[in-house]
Amino acid sequence: MVKLKVAILGGGPSAFYCASRILSKLPHTTSLGKNAEVHIYDRIWAPHGLVRFGVAPDHPEVKNCTHKFDTTAQDPRFKFLGNVNVGSVGSFDHTIQVPMSSLRRHYTHVVLAYGASIPFILPALGNSAIPALSIVHWYTGHPSNPIPPRLESINHMTLMGHGNVSLDIARLLLSSPERLASLDIPQPVLASMTSSKLEHVSIVSRRGPAQVAFTAKELRELLNLPGTSMIPIAPELLATPPGATRQQTRILDLLRKGSAAKPGTTKRTWSLGFFRSPVKPVDAGIEVGINELDSNEKAVPTGKTETFHTDLVVNSVGYRSEPIEPEWFDGSLGRIRQSGSRVIGIGQGVVPRTYASGWAANGAKGVLATTMMDAYSVAEKLLEDSLSTTTGSIDFRPGIPDEIVQSGRRVVTYEDWKRIDDEEIRRGLAMGKERERMTWTEVDNFLA
Amino acid sequence: MVGRVERPQKRPRRVRIASRKREVYILRQHHGSLTRPKPGEGITIHFHDSSNNLIKTIEGNDGDSLLDLAHEHDIDMEGACEGSVACSTCHVILTPEHYDKLEEPEDDENDMLDMAFGLTDTSRLGCQVKLSKDLEGMIVTLPSATRNFFVDGKLNSTRRLLLHP
Repeated sequence: MVKLKVAILGGGPSAFYCASRILSKLPHTTSLGKNAEVHIYDRIWAPHGLVRFGVAPDHPEVKNCTHKFDTTAQDPRFKFLGNVNVGSVGSFDHTIQVPMSSLRRHYTHVVLAYGASIPFILPALGNSAIPALSIVHWYTGHPSNPIPPRLESINHMTLMGHGNVSLDIARLLLSSPERLASLDIPQPVLASMTSSKLEHVSIVSRRGPAQVAFTAKELRELLNLPGTSMIPIAPELLATPPGATRQQTRILDLLRKGSAAKPGTTKRTWSLGFFRSPVKPVDAGIEVGINELDSNEKAVPTGKTETFHTDLVVNSVGYRSEPIEPEWFDGSLGRIRQSGSRVIGIGQGVVPRTYASGWAANGAKGVLATTMMDAYSVAEKLLEDSLSTTTGSIDFRPGIPDEIVQSGRRVVTYEDWKRIDDEEIRRGLAMGKERERMTWTEVDNFLA
Repeated sequence: MVGRVERPQKRPRRVRIASRKREVYILRQHHGSLTRPKPGEGITIHFHDSSNNLIKTIEGNDGDSLLDLAHEHDIDMEGACEGSVACSTCHVILTPEHYDKLEEPEDDENDMLDMAFGLTDTSRLGCQVKLSKDLEGMIVTLPSATRNFFVDGKLNSTRRLLLHP
């Protein structure tokens, strides 16, 4: 009898959309559907990946996508195994470790959907800069538990990189305490933000206004943020280039219009710096090289440099994936080697019944809709391949890998998660906010 | 009066998210968030897939959103942010003559459309398009990037393999 038993590694939107598509395309009423199983593994105890640990707390509506994930999780053929790490990259002290080879034995198919969690670094800055990810992890209560930025002793901050992560950080750190109070921000983070001395955020990148990676929504929000204003940009930088895309045109229009609050009327300000790459940290600041664009829109140094004062430099120039199975990893691209979602091993051979989805497959770019469509196409490819194969049944073991049971450690199920979710919301309500997030220690005690 | 594009009621940020979440969750568990018109009395809308094949013709009432109608009639339109104009998953392409009867999208909708897959001049978010008599006979195309190859546990006629029920 044909059976489909799929392990999806990573528990973010890509994983859940993929699981949802597989299960919805295989109704219970079919023999394949009746016996199908889909298990999502996440090394973090909580599901939903960047929806929980990436989406900015002042974008609660983006998190509505988890309602669909909740529906998927109610399917009896679905399991979530949180706090279980698969592959050769280590995780937290309390996480259960499972080698890929052990996992494989239990599944007919494996989907790698574990995202892109390693920040690219700017070598020129060395250890003088902190990664933007550590700020995101801080305000989302991520179990990596990073050192908090010392907002009470920082007046001027520089974010290197023109993506939405930079704008999220700028917007949150420039927000008034009143705007933040009811949001899903852990209480210690809120306290730090409330006593912040930050007055200016400078957001700098190597290229120009037509090459920014942030989107109009995030830019508009920052431009309209009460109590803060943007330092106007020299108009000659903001000419709309011939052949500009709709998105470029709209962003340049917004930048020309400037912020809702007039510069000079607010204590807090922000600015966008263009054509600047870091050269080295200097005493109480940073030296940057001035670039121009070549005909391919690549940044080329002019040889000129300048120095400016700043109290903290945050590097926010994108993410790469982790080589949880080194033989499947393309180090130069920072993602899994794949062709049409099928994982490619060393020697260009297709790794049988192994797929890659979302950022782990394509790099860290695109919005939720992009991830969703990719995950759906991966699910359909997997089903199509499995139904087209006539080479008899695939050997696999029932259940889950022995390492999990033998570890004696806690596996967080989706039912556990829903209890935690309710408890976090309950704790939040009592404090007049959306939710109060729990740490692993609290979760472990709560479930005990 | 041209066709209306009404904003969904913008929920204030401080609204009790917990209770809203429950409500939405329950609604999505069951159909029936919309009242269906009597056959022949509603506004007729044709949903097409990206290859321009008819998926389903349905009837809706004045004021119903395309997203709600799609869910009511089991049409595969996503609405990840549930109509709060925070994603582009309900992107649809409308027939030009009907698109022109709608008011221009607002900034927040345009911001999301910027990132929609396969954007066209007559693209909208399904959650923002509300039915009116002017839209009678409109074709709504779902610009899905995924192939419609594999349908409900069976490969379609281009492949022989079928699952035994």
